[in-house]
Amino acid sequence: MELFKRKKRLSADGDGLVLFADVQEALKAEKVLKKAGHWVNLVAPPPELRKGCDLAVEIHLTEQPGIERAFAEKDVAYLEIVPLREGCSELLDIVQLTDFGDWVMVKAGNMKLTFEKGSGVIVNTSGGGCPDIPLMHAELLGKTVLDAPKPKDIGFTLCALMLHRALEESIALHAVGDTR
Amino acid sequence: MMIIAGTVPDKAMPLAVGTVDADGDWLVVDGRSFPCTQGTGAMVSAALAVCDYLKLERPTAVIAGDIGEGKGSRAIYEHLIANVKSLAPEVLALHYWLPDMAQTKELCEAVEKCDTRPIMVADAASMYSAKASGMAPRFDVFTPDATEMAFLADPVATHPAYINRHLFDTDVTRTPDLIGAAYENGGAARLLLVKGAMDYVVRDGEIIETIEEPSVPVLEAIGGTGDTITGLVAAFACAGLELHEAAIIAAKANRMAGKMAGPTPATRVVEIIRQFPAVFQQYLCEWSGACCIEGGRSD
Repeated sequence: MELFKRKKRLSADGDGLVLFADVQEALKAEKVLKKAGHWVNLVAPPPELRKGCDLAVEIHLTEQPGIERAFAEKDVAYLEIVPLREGCSELLDIVQLTDFGDWVMVKAGNMKLTFEKGSGVIVNTSGGGCPDIPLMHAELLGKTVLDAPKPKDIGFTLCALMLHRALEESIALHAVGDTR
Repeated sequence: MMIIAGTVPDKAMPLAVGTVDADGDWLVVDGRSFPCTQGTGAMVSAALAVCDYLKLERPTAVIAGDIGEGKGSRAIYEHLIANVKSLAPEVLALHYWLPDMAQTKELCEAVEKCDTRPIMVADAASMYSAKASGMAPRFDVFTPDATEMAFLADPVATHPAYINRHLFDTDVTRTPDLIGAAYENGGAARLLLVKGAMDYVVRDGEIIETIEEPSVPVLEAIGGTGDTITGLVAAFACAGLELHEAAIIAAKANRMAGKMAGPTPATRVVEIIRQFPAVFQQYLCEWSGACCIEGGRSD
């Protein structure tokens, strides 16, 4: 009975939902995320999003990478993380390039990473607005695209995830020497 | 008084509140130092450059360390919600933090209780949370880049990573369409300064100015050059300029400082910030039409 008491309706404050195959994993996820300092809300998923069990964890979608890492570290099995807003698109997967002569700027979503074509050294990152971005700016600058830490491993937010995509694309471009 | 609030990338730094001082390329608030790099540091530095040039009261900063885990962001939210009325800022400029829609709404409610409502400026993730929480129309100034403009135009996205790909693909020449959509769906502040190859200054949905010169394309690659624009807008607004004038001069000054720095994509934002005093000395009179601007602070 306690479980049914704890289930709440969706709040207006979360914008993402973690879906689970079974109730026990959902409860474990709530505990893990709370301990890691994330805002969470145990809810019943709306019918159109329901997969697996009828218990889900409402989250701040911006924190998705940090949440995924917390789940991996604590062996929490989840089905999917989905945006809650009806009509919301999937994560952006478009990458755009700007040629600056000796340098190329790779843009993924709101994040941009610029590296020197010959050496592969990252000379700048720009864009974004989440608190992990200035740290990653400092961590990535001066390192080659191959040696730089992966934003997905050290960041917590969707801005970090977009920077990660820009870095992955930069690695691929540098590997084939195609930086036109 | 102008308040600038945002996180800095130092996990160990507790909440610090106080008047900003400069120590070389570092900034100091309540005895705590943080670098003038991409993010809140760049924004504060640009605002400080304006205040010092015009001899205005230096900005008050509300900062806390946060590397994405959210603790410092929550400390800033809580401090502002509890104290904004007594602090009574003329300008409240919000910057990097972990977006929280509930706390953003609480802050907007607290601001409404101020005896005199401050000019509300938002950039970076504070702009994301303002838009996602439906509070955008309560803000006076947003300073989005092209991608963030698409985010403001998307009626459901709560972060630029989830914007509709058709909006993201939009050619920059269609920025006016995005601006129209953002105002239509309540995703815009009263005034927008849209940063890009062409900067747009928009008031209540109407494009009132575009700025293209000097053209310095590499500025887009340099981390912090968007942050400096926001700091300039906030400071010029605090100096008493009309918001659209503050935005126009900020856009021009940022471009000119970029040009004077002779940048490459590897240039650091601090090299551009160092140019601001020379830019102001050379152009502020011409751009503002007020050639005898006198500040109130005496050193």
